[in-house]
Amino acid sequence: MKKIIYLIALISINSFAQSKYLTKTGTINFEASVPSVEEVKAENNSVTAILNSDNGEFAALVFVKGFRFKNALMEEHFNENYAESDMYPKATFKGKIKDFSMDMLNSELEFKLDGTLTFHGKTKQVNDVVISLNKEDDLISASGNFKVLVSDFDIKIPRIVRDKVSEEVQITYKFDLKKR
Amino acid sequence: MKYLLIIFLLTPLFVDAQDDLLDEIDTNATEGQYATAAFKGLKIVNFESTKLVAKDELTFIVSHRFGSVKNGIDTFFGLDEAVTRIHFVYGITDAINIGVSRSSFLKIYDVTAKYRLVRQEENGFPFTIVGFNALLINTALEKENLPLLKFKHRLGYTAQILISRKINTDFSIELAPTFFHDNYVQMDEQSNSQFALGFGGRYKLGKRWSVNADYGLHLNRASNSPFKNPLSIGLDLETGGHVFQMHFSNAQAMNTNGFLGQGTGDWLDGDVYFGFNLSRRF
Repeated sequence: MKKIIYLIALISINSFAQSKYLTKTGTINFEASVPSVEEVKAENNSVTAILNSDNGEFAALVFVKGFRFKNALMEEHFNENYAESDMYPKATFKGKIKDFSMDMLNSELEFKLDGTLTFHGKTKQVNDVVISLNKEDDLISASGNFKVLVSDFDIKIPRIVRDKVSEEVQITYKFDLKKR
Repeated sequence: MKYLLIIFLLTPLFVDAQDDLLDEIDTNATEGQYATAAFKGLKIVNFESTKLVAKDELTFIVSHRFGSVKNGIDTFFGLDEAVTRIHFVYGITDAINIGVSRSSFLKIYDVTAKYRLVRQEENGFPFTIVGFNALLINTALEKENLPLLKFKHRLGYTAQILISRKINTDFSIELAPTFFHDNYVQMDEQSNSQFALGFGGRYKLGKRWSVNADYGLHLNRASNSPFKNPLSIGLDLETGGHVFQMHFSNAQAMNTNGFLGQGTGDWLDGDVYFGFNLSRRF
């Protein structure tokens, strides 16, 4: 009986000490440019992201209004006409890194990430997103990129700008996650 | 005792079992985020809106007001008597704009400054407050008609506070207390310094178009003045870098001093002017 208590005590201490890595200043870029017209590109530097290093679960959250474009009018149109950020202020990602193990993180290594991306009130399953992880002391840096289609998120590009905005959006992310 | 201990030790396991990483970082803190685009155009219809041109951008606005539609086909609903204003606005910063314009209504040149003092925040400050000033030069006054005319009589000034609130995604309103001064007024009884209160609003009918209206309540118009308070109603259509505004107004002038002080039309008589503002960003 004593042994069982010890075991439970150990597990529960372990789960108290469950290690999570967090950032509130992650970066997400997206680009939907068409060659040889004005670039459609924005960056957000206040992304919150969290990694559970016990099981590889990963989540990220971003306020859509925090995306900065070079062109202020483009930013306004993005918020008003495409992302409708008054109605859908947040974009989120929730998923799990496949075959994740803390022991492997001592050099930069690529993993695959499965999860769901929610934007503009629509949720889309994304699979096998490449994520490079590297651990240095208490910091895990995670980065990668993937592509989505605007039509997956119920966003329509009007005909008059169809040759200026790409239907395919390249998303790049970089998070320096600190041990919490 | 033993069981208590087990239960106590098990508790964190259950707690952990139900947590979701996303919930841990989810927050509704939107404080400090500014409300975007209370108005699409730099003007509601006649009144300046609280929108500014962004830093280092140049916007070109051409505005037309046809003559009164009252005369019908005789002047082709005012086409023959159209007046035009050409206006350039440049953003020194996102919060400070300067502009120059020339209107064919009384051949007025003007220089304008528009500057944002506060911005509306979500769950924060409820209004956007913008100041607007203009210096106008009326070059239509002739020495033959006014022998004592000096250069100073050609000058006019505008000082305006624009207070807007985006109530929800579709609906925005604005209040515009205005002081304006014309060194020359057409009627002796009219005091040169004049006060007015502007009201304006827009309602979005779709993502890219809205219905807009504004009204100017003149507070010290001379009792025998022939001029009327301006009421204007129009549609805004936005297409990429352009904003196209079409409207009807009972004032033909496009400068603040003009449409507040010298609006001659009357909605009740069908004496209104069709017009449009077209803006293009560079």
